[in-house]
Amino acid sequence: MTSHHPVTRRSIGLALATLAGLGLLPRGAEANSQGVSKDEIVIGALGALTGATAFIGAPGRDGIQLAVDGINAQGGINGRKLRLVFEHAFTPAESVAAAKKLVESDKVFVLILASGSTGAAAAADYVRETGVPTYNLYGSTPIIRKPFAKNVFHSVVPPAEISGGKMVDMIFEAKPDAKRVGVLAGTYAFPQATKAGLLAALEKKKDVKVVVEEFDQGARDFTSQLLSFARQRVEAVLVSGSFSEAGFAIKQAPEKGVTNMTWVLDGSAVNDAIIPIIGPENTKGVYGYFNVPYFPAQLDPPIVKYNELWKAKYGAPPQGRPNVYDIAGYSSTFVLAAALKKAGTDLSWAGLISAWETVKDAKPSDFGGPDVAFPESFSPTDHQGNTRLGKAAIKDGIWQVIAK
Amino acid sequence: MAEFIMVIIGGVQFGAIYALAAIGVVVIHKATRTVNFAHGGLVMLGAFVTYLVVVELRWPYWTAYVLAPLLIGTLAMALELVILRPIRRADMFTVIMATIFLGIALSETFRLAQNTEMLAVPSAVKGPPMIVPLGEDAFIVTAEQIWVTIGALLTGFAGLALFRYAGIGRSMRAMASNIRGAQLCGFSIDRVYALAWFFGGALAGLAGVFAAPSKGVSPELAVSVISAAFVAAVIGGFDSLIGAIIGGLLLGVVETLSAAYVSSAMKSAVSFLLLFVVLLWRPDGLFPERKGRDV
Amino acid sequence: MSDRLRGILRVLAPSSALVAFLLLGLFVGQYQRYVLSHAAAAIVIGAALTMLVGYARCISLATGAMMALGAYGSTLLVIKLGFPFLLAVALGGVLGGLGGFILAVPGVRFRSHNLAMVTLVFQSVVIIVIRELKGLTGGAEGLNVPRPTLFGIDFSGDYAILMLTVCVCVCVLVPLTILVTGAYGKNLRALASNEVGARAFGISIEHHLIAAFTISSAAVAIAAAIAAPRFRVIDPDTYGIMASIFTLAYPIVGGMQSIWGGVLGGGVLALLPEVLRPVADFIELFFAVLVIATIMFFRGGLVDLAGAIGRRLKGARPPESIEAASPVDAAVTGGLETSNAAVAAIGNALVIDNVSKVYDALRAVDGVSVEVRAGSLHGLMGPNGAGKTTLFNTISGFVGADGGRIECFGRDITHSPVEGRIALGITRTFQQVAIFPELTCRDNVVIGLGRNGIGSVLSRSFDDIAGRARAAEERGQADWALAAVGLGGLGDAPAGMLSLGNQRRLEIARAIVSRPRLILLDEPVSGVGHQEAEQLKDLLKRINADLGVTMLVVEHNIGFLVSLCDQLTVMGSGRVIAEGKPEEVVTRSEVRRVYFGESEKVALHA
Repeated sequence: MTSHHPVTRRSIGLALATLAGLGLLPRGAEANSQGVSKDEIVIGALGALTGATAFIGAPGRDGIQLAVDGINAQGGINGRKLRLVFEHAFTPAESVAAAKKLVESDKVFVLILASGSTGAAAAADYVRETGVPTYNLYGSTPIIRKPFAKNVFHSVVPPAEISGGKMVDMIFEAKPDAKRVGVLAGTYAFPQATKAGLLAALEKKKDVKVVVEEFDQGARDFTSQLLSFARQRVEAVLVSGSFSEAGFAIKQAPEKGVTNMTWVLDGSAVNDAIIPIIGPENTKGVYGYFNVPYFPAQLDPPIVKYNELWKAKYGAPPQGRPNVYDIAGYSSTFVLAAALKKAGTDLSWAGLISAWETVKDAKPSDFGGPDVAFPESFSPTDHQGNTRLGKAAIKDGIWQVIAK
Repeated sequence: MAEFIMVIIGGVQFGAIYALAAIGVVVIHKATRTVNFAHGGLVMLGAFVTYLVVVELRWPYWTAYVLAPLLIGTLAMALELVILRPIRRADMFTVIMATIFLGIALSETFRLAQNTEMLAVPSAVKGPPMIVPLGEDAFIVTAEQIWVTIGALLTGFAGLALFRYAGIGRSMRAMASNIRGAQLCGFSIDRVYALAWFFGGALAGLAGVFAAPSKGVSPELAVSVISAAFVAAVIGGFDSLIGAIIGGLLLGVVETLSAAYVSSAMKSAVSFLLLFVVLLWRPDGLFPERKGRDV
Repeated sequence: MSDRLRGILRVLAPSSALVAFLLLGLFVGQYQRYVLSHAAAAIVIGAALTMLVGYARCISLATGAMMALGAYGSTLLVIKLGFPFLLAVALGGVLGGLGGFILAVPGVRFRSHNLAMVTLVFQSVVIIVIRELKGLTGGAEGLNVPRPTLFGIDFSGDYAILMLTVCVCVCVLVPLTILVTGAYGKNLRALASNEVGARAFGISIEHHLIAAFTISSAAVAIAAAIAAPRFRVIDPDTYGIMASIFTLAYPIVGGMQSIWGGVLGGGVLALLPEVLRPVADFIELFFAVLVIATIMFFRGGLVDLAGAIGRRLKGARPPESIEAASPVDAAVTGGLETSNAAVAAIGNALVIDNVSKVYDALRAVDGVSVEVRAGSLHGLMGPNGAGKTTLFNTISGFVGADGGRIECFGRDITHSPVEGRIALGITRTFQQVAIFPELTCRDNVVIGLGRNGIGSVLSRSFDDIAGRARAAEERGQADWALAAVGLGGLGDAPAGMLSLGNQRRLEIARAIVSRPRLILLDEPVSGVGHQEAEQLKDLLKRINADLGVTMLVVEHNIGFLVSLCDQLTVMGSGRVIAEGKPEEVVTRSEVRRVYFGESEKVALHA
């Protein structure tokens, strides 16, 4: 029995030593070029493939992969091919786990957050701690943006104050003397971020009464929200949520006595799949902003070329695909490629970050792809690649960008 | 007043769909003593058939009303044959577990095949909202609301009549009340079970066609329908078809009323509270079937 | 001593899986350590659900809600009230247990799908409340969980978190294992297989099931509370209905017949998604198919599968059914203690005074009065529908009498509950054998000793570990009773494998082990062969003589009854129509008329 003590003590000592080694030591410089080999750069990405935000993550994965294929077909970056490791993550906990797995187990060089605000918010602390170069594609949430982090860059989705301002402007373009404006926002992460931006922009408008209503993710019945708008005689509604949520709200509006309404939708709701929900004949007065200059169904040459590439790889698209997240995932990967190319031989985290901060007007055509997004530029103090938004409306049965 | 009428109309429309789904659950339970937690998955697949027929193939809408019940009925029959028949001798507990995970398997298969948040299906009937004057006020009703409410309810009552008066219904009822006796009278248990699942599946398929435009096609449809159908079935006594219809309508109206006059969060909670109250207050539902003394 | 040691090892064995994780964690990367912590928590959840789902056979769809209570409860205590981490985890467990209790009190009156629905109500309401209490819980956007600190040390490394997780999980898993493998687990399996039989021996179904919900919910909540900091952010979706459904897969896939099922199921299913990451899309479908396949093809789950492989390797054959009925061993039966014979003093064991029971319009028992002399073998017969089963059930407490009074050894027992009968010295057997097939013969008989109040059962579960003499004493008494009915060598055999005749003997053993003063025997030879019936008759006579115990026997087999009893009551249409010495009673014309269905005329001709 006496032999017990030393053993226990030794194992505790060992464990504590390990603990100290793991928990307290700062990351050494050698971790900084993980995932880079002679002929390969491993990039990791996470997003939801299942669940209510799968309409963000799955297109993100497909868009990034399509771009990776295109870049590799052009010979890669300075002789190195890109390899994508994508991890499914829906809940915040899964997002942290996926980020940990990608950085610590798969040893990726760059982490792409293709998950929307929920995942981006959850992973924010982790990526700040590790310092891994991170590209936030879709998260509008302030949690990933503030305070400024040297290693975190943002793509086509601008912060909520920009998109919120744009949406409010669209209302007053359609109804210049609107006095009662409704805000219909989901209770989950990105609609809440947009809602904050909307309320900030509405505050600047004098004599405008704002009616705020919320709904849960995946809501299909908007009775209580629409009745509240009807009772308070709201003239225009700003919707922050997914296309299905916005679609059913607009569809049910006349059933609850809400007519002649102007609807302005968040970019994530601007999707062709919304049209069969509300019916092509009821699309008057529905507007939205779009994060890229073209809709998939438009006939401009870059987007036509993009659609061809998509179909060649993934076959006939299901309803609502490719969507804005496909396009943004695609074009952003080219922006990342431009940063990697600029870093040249210095493929360390620090090297990539400082190269990234000098990237100007990066676009897919730099690597032979069609330019389906606004070009992105960065600086050491501004990591937001894109701040432009297109104004969109439904014309001839499809969404179209009517002003860039 | 006009607002109240519009709220009630909306509630009745959802309620009619719940009722149709609940009847399927009750038919299967009545005839085979199987509590089918996979029913929501069947309804979702019915809605998916609608999407395929109407959106992908661009066939006329009525073909969905024919194809969905046939296909989903056949699928339900196949599921009974392949998965539930081998475990028929197991206790209720085991069978319930199997149907819970069968439901997951159905919606996951759909999700993997489609991989999109939601598929949108247009309404079966189109037309501008109708404005019905009411004193100085006016309320609005849409063609879709009328079509779904009346169509789903008529289908439900047709199912009820079939179960009550037609030959197949008689054999199912005989099986429900006394399995051994029914077997002695020449009813084949395998045939009756297959028939009941086909019948229940067909009703689920139809519920899917009616639900598709107003709920969209997504795995979440399976979850929302199964809880609503069960609540409606339990309110109705779980073995009463007419009880299921009334339970479904009651649930739809109560949900919408609480959304309109309390809060949207209350709407999600109220169906469960209703279920809880009914279970505690009248465990046999509001419309209990008269049971024999064989307990 | 060695028994006790073996008991302790048995209880610690499941936790060895957790300790193995700790060792494994030394040799793997950070992310793998993170995954191991996840699996450790899943093992506890699996074990807790083995108790609730596997043993008590309650389908719970509220596991996610219990996890949410633990995770949110502990996190909020740390954030809002500054509680130390471990205390907050413990209180999170208390909150979960409270949730389980609140769910169970109205819930346990339901079974199967209705219970599933009630748990679904609870699940949904908890999640809705968390979503709506935005100011407190952060609503749908989630709540940031601070790093755990212990005595000022910041636990941020993955190995540190793994250590902490394993320590807490062992602290939960050990008592859980003790309960599940001890008297409490046996009682749960008993009541799950035969509620009527369990009730007759004092097992309160409601109390046992409420305890199962409370204990398993507390364990689940603690597992979730310890896991929360690892998640960094918790949100309502993490603990939604899908979490409930997928945790339900743990005991099913692992195997519902032992604690190892939950441990294996939880561990394997928590690690599986990591192994299957390349096909992450398919993981939910894979889970669902795995569960369905388990139910269809190997219902024993991984535990059974491992057992079968083990046997295959050893070349052993699976256990076969025990068919041979051992004859009553005269020597053993002779060894019955006769001190109790003195109890059978002169007087009445049972006085039934003007008892009535009405079902709707039917007077099943109509003003019946019977006196059963102490120490006698009293028979009760009558044609179908004569009301003897109803009368029997009013005596055993399963049916409340509408009128009249029943006295047992001078005490009024008309309204005392079934569960209390055994304390009054009344036990019974059943027309359809009500043994507990999954338990061993010895454990079946131990349940017959009573002491099945929930508090006493929970404390008895710890007897083996604490090395209390009571455990050995119980085993001794059970072995005595088994020997007395001729099942001496079968103490460790599963009761379900006995032949019907031996199952009847087992019921008698269970009925006599508590040394009752009155045994109610409900058709003790129904379904057994003639020879076996003769042996059972001798056995009953011997027990009656040696123990001095009074017996009231309902039986259709008249020959058996006449040769067994020394007093016979005949009922017809809810009333007593004859009473007296058996040989004499059966010759009476009114008996022949009512019982044998002979008309007056035929009787005269005869």
